[in-house]
Amino acid sequence: MAWRLPTTHKLHHHVAFSPTTTATGELSWRSNIAPSLLVSPSTSTSASVSLARKPHVRLSVRCATAAPVGAVNLAPGTPVRPTSILVVGATGTLGRQIVRRALDEGYDVRCLVRPRPAPADFLRDWGATVVNADLSKPETIPATLVGIHTVIDCATGRPEEPIKPVDWEGKVALIQSARAMGIQKYVFYSIHNCDKHPEVPLMEIKYCTEKFLQESGLNHIVIRLCGFMQGLIGQYAVPILEEKSVWGTDAPTRIAYMDTQDIARLTFIALRNEKINGKLLTFAGPRAWTTQEVITLCERLAGQDANVTTVPVSVLRFTRQLTRFFEWTNEVAGRLAFSEVLSSDTVFSSPMGDTYSLLGVDQKDIATLEKYLQDYFTNILKKLKDIKAQSKQTDIYF
Amino acid sequence: MATTITPATNTASFRSTVFTPQNHLFNCHINRRRRLVAAKGNSGDGDNGGSDSSSKTQPPSISLDDVNPVGLGRKSRQIFDEVWRKFSGLGQISRTSRTDESESLDALLIREGPMCEFAIPGAANTTVLVVGATSRIGRILIRKLMLRGYTVKALVRKADQEVVGMLPRSVEIVVGDVGDQSTLRTAVEGCNKIIYCATARSTVTADLNRVDYQGVYNLSKAFQDYNNRLAQLRAGKSSKSKLLLAKFKNADSLEGWEVRQGTYFQDVLATKYEAGMDAKFEYTDNGEAVFSGYVFTRGGYVELSKKLQLSLGSTLDRYEGLVFSVGGNGRSYAVILEAGPSADTTQSKLYFARISTKVGFCRVRVPFSSFRPVKPEDPPLDPFLVHTLTIRFEPRRQRTLDGPAGAKQDLRNFKLIFEYIKALPTGQETDFVLVSCTGLGVEPTRREQVLKAKRAGEDSLRRSGLGYTIIRPGPLKEEPGGQRALIFDQGNRITQGISCADVADICVKTLHDSTARNKSFDVCYEYVADQGKELYELVAHLPDKANNYLTPALSVLEKNT
Repeated sequence: MAWRLPTTHKLHHHVAFSPTTTATGELSWRSNIAPSLLVSPSTSTSASVSLARKPHVRLSVRCATAAPVGAVNLAPGTPVRPTSILVVGATGTLGRQIVRRALDEGYDVRCLVRPRPAPADFLRDWGATVVNADLSKPETIPATLVGIHTVIDCATGRPEEPIKPVDWEGKVALIQSARAMGIQKYVFYSIHNCDKHPEVPLMEIKYCTEKFLQESGLNHIVIRLCGFMQGLIGQYAVPILEEKSVWGTDAPTRIAYMDTQDIARLTFIALRNEKINGKLLTFAGPRAWTTQEVITLCERLAGQDANVTTVPVSVLRFTRQLTRFFEWTNEVAGRLAFSEVLSSDTVFSSPMGDTYSLLGVDQKDIATLEKYLQDYFTNILKKLKDIKAQSKQTDIYF
Repeated sequence: MATTITPATNTASFRSTVFTPQNHLFNCHINRRRRLVAAKGNSGDGDNGGSDSSSKTQPPSISLDDVNPVGLGRKSRQIFDEVWRKFSGLGQISRTSRTDESESLDALLIREGPMCEFAIPGAANTTVLVVGATSRIGRILIRKLMLRGYTVKALVRKADQEVVGMLPRSVEIVVGDVGDQSTLRTAVEGCNKIIYCATARSTVTADLNRVDYQGVYNLSKAFQDYNNRLAQLRAGKSSKSKLLLAKFKNADSLEGWEVRQGTYFQDVLATKYEAGMDAKFEYTDNGEAVFSGYVFTRGGYVELSKKLQLSLGSTLDRYEGLVFSVGGNGRSYAVILEAGPSADTTQSKLYFARISTKVGFCRVRVPFSSFRPVKPEDPPLDPFLVHTLTIRFEPRRQRTLDGPAGAKQDLRNFKLIFEYIKALPTGQETDFVLVSCTGLGVEPTRREQVLKAKRAGEDSLRRSGLGYTIIRPGPLKEEPGGQRALIFDQGNRITQGISCADVADICVKTLHDSTARNKSFDVCYEYVADQGKELYELVAHLPDKANNYLTPALSVLEKNT
């Protein structure tokens, strides 16, 4: 949407965000979000007490911004520098890598983070600008988009909070604001296979957001991801080293884990490639792994056996079914919904050959899980050894 | 579902209402898990999980604390939370879940960073002073340095809100001006490296001179002074200390030096009719070691020579050149080094370099790299093998001095007062990175002046004795870096622009790259030469994650240009 013409006419931003226009804008978002939500409540998150499983209803996707929004000022404004980007979800596993890569490539990075008591200092230390806003409060969004060329959206609600306010309502508000503010590119991270598993609330929401984004008319890239290697450290590697129990499932699901640093790198290559506009890319790691294989690999690299508690997928599914019966556990059921995916032998992987050649990336530059975990264990075992050596020395002196 | 309960509200009644459903859940999970463990047999993993649950139901030793209902509730809640977290984690798409966990991960994966692709070993112990921190390159440069774990100091003229807001918070801000020597002294305190990317804001000559020339001069001098101070503190044992080869402070120090004379031609007639030559090396009454004399013979020369006696363990290969502190009447001399196995002097090879002195006292630096073999077929000088040092005077090739006395002087006599001869310590890395320019981006009318100031700055840096890298980028563009291949070249042939981010990246990479030391080079984007105009082979390198483009690009370029 290049209706922001590069002229030197100043003060456009200030004009566009005088208090009156902001107020009208806010109202229009409210009215835009509301209908789509009333029409189609999602099954798992709606507070229904009925015991029978409802037939699944898709969220109907409607892009209300296709109709002209009152607050849009079509007058030419100050040209926005193409190096200015906004990262939403910058404190997350992927978000921080995006921020880092962006700063390193010379972008001016603004991070949208929720106001919180312990602020994300590391982002500021790296040289990013941090702005406070909350996706679940749409009125806080537009101000953060002033002077931004590209929005990179890698936000996802925290596991302990309800999914909908951030992941659906918040994203809709964000996309609508971006549309209204003339953001020139929007990068959205989705989940691989999200179109095939509408029973998982998060995946359904991601799929609907993809559709919403496509219909919004924004210049966009959708990137579907499979799994992060960084997530495995906390899940398996750390418990194995600490000799705590590791919980795994016997699911045959395979996930092609990918290093978030690679994801960030490929994202920026894609971002600058005009041919990729409006496309859907899938980023997958070099090889798909089952949980059991990952645990075995960790055991081998750590040189010690893990304390594995294997939970059959059937148990997980059963728990999910059980928790769906009660109103107060419905949120839990939503969280366990991924077990439905686990019980099918889905493979979260995708051949990357085309993507590599499209982006001009060499496959050997993409980190493999073996290499990644090996690096991790080598480093951490070395560190442990150092600590042990130090403590032995102090034994002698004291 | 309430998930957080503060201890204050943890009353019995509250627990009974909120905990009951959870305990119900808890029990049903435990039961299911027991069944599972039983089905699996004794694979060992049941012990740990089992002890979690049994610790709640059967406390091993009963004290008042153990039966305290509040404590029990809290404990069971902790255990339950842990089990539930892991259990529910299985049913989720993997994400980092707990904040304390991700904090400890951050420390390893992000801040200390062996797992981080940006991490550079040694960055944590390096402090970099960035001059021009708010410039287009400087802003990006500082971020890059911070990402890599360097300690960064930024020299700014004014620490007002706008400037401070532009810099990351953990950057140490030093207020000072490159035009003012006294402020620089505090700025270089504790720094290991300097990156100078400040540039004059205008093309007014005074401004240019102050920032582009005087600024570089002042800063390199301040830095060198600081290094020297450190060297003194460490009693000459620091890696920055010079190695003393000879110091002429009394008559004894003349021992070992011998005066010789010779001619280039075996021309009997010439020696017969001309007045000949004479030279002496003596310690005068006023405490000066003077080498003086005259050479009237055509093609004749006199020289002063000594076999070097280095203390055990120190060899000249750890040094990169010689420095002479001398005075005299401004003649030029040839320094000749004899190198070869010290046991067999017949295999020695000769290397020479010319030095010129000023009237009065001065210090002359001669890098080993400027020595050329006397016989062209000999290999380049290996400082490790140097065993004899000779200073030769010959009346040929003397330039007439300026000034009223210059014309009347007889260039065939000379006087050289020695103070000391030292070897300059080598460094593997560059100490001072200077971002200069090619002048392409400057408007043509002022280009001359801008380049003059920049070149003067470059020259003062080269003469400072610091390890330097001078980067001359093409016209700067504000766009993301790492997209296009770069050309590294010497000789002012480039025509393209380059992004600020790429220049910043080069600055960072040169810090720890030994091939970048003492090099000056131009850099720009790759371009396709017009048909028939492909005069030079320019090597292009694409910045990439896997390859370090800088080392191969720079290794083909000349040092000390």
